[in-house]
Amino acid sequence: MRRPPPPNPTATVQPRAARHNQGRLSLLAAVVVISLLSLLPLIALGWDALRGPSQEGLGLGIDGADQIRGTLLLVLGEGLLGASLGTATGWLCAVCRFPGRRLLRIAQLLPMAFPAYLQAASLIDWGSQRGLLIHGPLWAIALLTLANYSYVFLLSTESFSVSGRRLLEASRSLGVGPWRSFWRVALPIAMPSIGAGIALSAMEVVNELGAVRLLGVPSLSAGILDRWQVEGDPRGAALLSMIALAIVAVLVAAERQLRQRSRRWNLGGGTGQEAIWLLTGWRALLAILITALPPLLALAIPTLWILSGWQGIGPEAAADLVPLALRTLGLAFAATGVTVAAALLLAIVRRWSPQPLVRQLSFVAGLGYAIPGSVLALGLLILGGPLLLSPLLLLLWGYGDRFMAVSKQGMDAAFERIPPSIDEAATSLGCSWQGVLRRVHLPLMRGPLVVGSLLVFVDVVKELPITLSLRPFDFDTLAVRVFQYASDERVGAAMAPSLLIMVFGLVAASALIPSLEAGTQQKS
Amino acid sequence: MSTRPSFHSLPIPHGRSAALLALIPSLTGLVPALASLPPAQAKEVRVYSGRHYSSDAALFQQFTKATGIQVRLLESNDSTIIERLRNEGQNSSADVLVLVDAAKLANAAADGMFQPVGSAALMRDVPLDLRDPKGRWFGLTRRVRAFAVNPAVVNPASLKTYADLAKPALKGKVCLRNRNNVYNQSLVADQMILRGDRAAATWIKGMVANLAQPVFTSDVALARAVAQGRCGVGLVNSYYVARMLSGQSGAADKALAAKIRIVYPNPAHINVSGAGVTRYAKNKPEAIQLIEFLTSPTAAEGFAKGSFEYPLKGYGNNPILQRFGSFKPDRLSAAQLGAQNKAAVALMATNGWK
Repeated sequence: MRRPPPPNPTATVQPRAARHNQGRLSLLAAVVVISLLSLLPLIALGWDALRGPSQEGLGLGIDGADQIRGTLLLVLGEGLLGASLGTATGWLCAVCRFPGRRLLRIAQLLPMAFPAYLQAASLIDWGSQRGLLIHGPLWAIALLTLANYSYVFLLSTESFSVSGRRLLEASRSLGVGPWRSFWRVALPIAMPSIGAGIALSAMEVVNELGAVRLLGVPSLSAGILDRWQVEGDPRGAALLSMIALAIVAVLVAAERQLRQRSRRWNLGGGTGQEAIWLLTGWRALLAILITALPPLLALAIPTLWILSGWQGIGPEAAADLVPLALRTLGLAFAATGVTVAAALLLAIVRRWSPQPLVRQLSFVAGLGYAIPGSVLALGLLILGGPLLLSPLLLLLWGYGDRFMAVSKQGMDAAFERIPPSIDEAATSLGCSWQGVLRRVHLPLMRGPLVVGSLLVFVDVVKELPITLSLRPFDFDTLAVRVFQYASDERVGAAMAPSLLIMVFGLVAASALIPSLEAGTQQKS
Repeated sequence: MSTRPSFHSLPIPHGRSAALLALIPSLTGLVPALASLPPAQAKEVRVYSGRHYSSDAALFQQFTKATGIQVRLLESNDSTIIERLRNEGQNSSADVLVLVDAAKLANAAADGMFQPVGSAALMRDVPLDLRDPKGRWFGLTRRVRAFAVNPAVVNPASLKTYADLAKPALKGKVCLRNRNNVYNQSLVADQMILRGDRAAATWIKGMVANLAQPVFTSDVALARAVAQGRCGVGLVNSYYVARMLSGQSGAADKALAAKIRIVYPNPAHINVSGAGVTRYAKNKPEAIQLIEFLTSPTAAEGFAKGSFEYPLKGYGNNPILQRFGSFKPDRLSAAQLGAQNKAAVALMATNGWK
C-alpha cells in the first residue's frame, strides 16, 4: 500500500488518504469483531430455533396477527406522540424565553429516570386499590411516550440550540416569524437528531416487555418469549423475532432517508444570546403547560404510589440496599465503558470508510437494541453455557449488544453535523487520522459522548431481563430485587429498590444538565 | 507522515484497549467485593430458584446455622433458569433446582434436569403424591387454586366446583388472571384430565364469556377487584389473600381482604413448589441435606408463617390458614399435569383465554 504523500499545505488531500496507514486495518478488524460479537447471540438463537423440535410448520399462531398489530399500534402511537412532544419541548426550551424555562428544560430529563415497567406497575397497583382499571393500548402509549420522549427532546434541543442558532438568527433578521423559522429552518436542520431520537424510542417500544405485558397489550416482544418458553416453539419465536427485526429495519431505513434529505453541516457555536423568541401571555402559559406536564406526570405516578402503599415496604426491604446499589452501579459503569468505546469506534469508522460493507456492519451492530432483552439473554445463554464464559463477561456482552445503538445513534448524528471539509482541512494540514480524531472530532463530540454514556448508564441501571438471566450466584441488583418482590406480588416491598433505581436515573439525568446548558451558552 | 501525534496518544485503539484493560481488574474485583464469597474451604450448596419469597432467605439462614453449609442463591424466573441449566449442561455449578409449578417440575424431570435421589427422610416427610415417583424432585409447599368470592355479589354457596364459573348466572361477574400464568395453565390441564378436552373447552369459553373485565396480570390486583365488588368471584392462590389479611401489605389491603370469602372447590386443584438435585450437581450430599431440611416439619412451619403456603401435610398452624378451612385434593400427579401443559395452553388460546 502506498504511503500518503508528505504534508503539503497547498495540496488538497482527500480525508480518505488518512486511512492509508496501519491503523486502518486494525480499525476495520475491530469493527468486524464488534459486529460479529453483536450478531453472535442472534445467530445462536436462529441456529437453536432451526435445530429445535420441529413444529407443525412455520406460522404466526393464534395470536401472531394480534401481536404484530399491537406492536405496530404502539410504535406508531408512541412515535407520533413522542416525536411531537420531544420536538415541541426541545424547541421551546432551546429558543424561546418564558418564565421557568431554565428549570423546565432540566425537568425534561426527569421522565427518563423512571422506567416504563415501574411506572406501569405502580400505576396499576395504585389503580387496583381504588377500583381504577389501568389497562390497554392507550395507557401503554401514554406511559411509553412519557418514558421515551426525552430521547427526542435531548437530541432535538441540542440541535435546535447549537446547530441551528446562527441560521435562526439569520432567518429572524430577514423577518421570518417563529413558526415559519421552525418549519423552514430549524426543523430540517434538526431532522437527523429528531429522527435518531424517534428511531431510538421506537426500538425501545418494540422491545418493551414489562410495561406492555402488565397493561395487557399483545406485542411481538411478549409473543416471542411466549412462543419460545410457554408453547415450546422456538421456530415460531424466531419467525416473530424476524418480523420485529423487519419493523425496526424499516424504521431505521426511514430515519436514514430523512437524514439524507436534510443533510446540512454546521459547526455549532452559539452566539451567547439567551433565547431568540420571547413568549408572553397565553403563549408563555401554553409553553409552560407543554413543558411542565410530562415531568409532573412522571413524578406524580411514583408519588401517588408511595403515598398509598408505603405501609407495605416492610423492614427487610431496606436490609441489603447498599450491596444491591453497589452491584448495580459497578455493572452500569463497566457496561457504559465497554459500550461507548465500541460505539465511538463504529461511528468513526463509519465516517471514514465509504465502503458499504462497513456501513452495513455498523448498522448490524446496533440491532441488539431492537431485540427484547429476554430474547437476547437466551441467545447469550446458548453461547455462554457451553463456552464456560464467566457470567459477568456474558452480562457485559449482553449490555453492550443491547445498548450499542443508544450511544451510537447520537454519535452518528453528531458526526453528520461535522462538515467533511474539516477533516479535509485537518488532513491537508498534516494531521493523521488519529490527530483528526483527537484534535478535531473528540472536542466537537464531547457533548454527544457524554449524552451517549449517560443514556447507556441509565439503561443498564434499569435493565432487568439480561441481568436476571445471566448474573452469577448471590449477585442481585436493584432491578432484580424489584422483580423478585413484584413476582411475589409484593409491589409495596418493591418500593425501596424501585425508588433507588429512580434516584440513580435522576442523578445520571442531572449529569446531563451541563451538556444542555452548553447548548444555550456561549462556547469558550 | 508527520511525527505528530506520537503513538501513545492515539486516542481510539488506545482508549478502547485501555478501557478493556481497566475492566479486567475492576471485574475481577467486582466478584469478591460484591458477591460476598464464602471462604474457599466452607461447604456450600448452590441453588437455582424460581421461588421469590423473602421468607425463603430466612429458611436458608436457618439451614446454614444448623449445618454450617453456605447456601448460594440465584433466583430467576422458571423458564430462564431451566434454559440456563440446560445450556450450562455439565458445566453448571447449580446443585439444587427449585421450581414453583407441578407441570414445570415434571417437565424439568422429563428433560433430565434432575438426578434421582434416595433418602429415607424425604420418603418419610414428602407424601407420595407430592413427589416424583423416581425421586427426582420433592414437593416443598402446597398451594390451592381457590375461589375468591365477594358475598355481596355472588352467593358463596352457589360455588362448588371449578365448572360453576362457566354458569350463565355469573355473566359479568367472573375475573381471571391471564393465560400466561402457570397456576391457570395447570388448573386447565387438571380439568382436561378430569373432565375431558371437550368439557374443558366449553368450560373455558363459558368463563371467558362471563368475564367482568379484561384478564388480570396479578392475583393481588384480582383479589382487590373482588373485594371492591368489581368482580363477584375470581380464581386466586389462597396465600395471596392470606397475606393481605395478615396486614403485611398495609392496612388498606387488610381491610379489602376482610371482604373476601375464600371458597375451596371440591375437589380442589393442588399445585406444588418443589426441589430436586440437579443432574450434574457438584455438591450432592449438601444438596440432599438442604432438600431434607426444606421438607422437614421445621421448614413447613416457616413456609406457612412466611409465605402462607400450605405445608406438605395438614393445614399448618397459622390462624389465617385455619380460617380458610379444609380442602379435598383431587390427587392428580404432577407428571399428568406436566404432560398436559402444552395442550392446556393451546386449549386456553383457542378458546379465548387471553
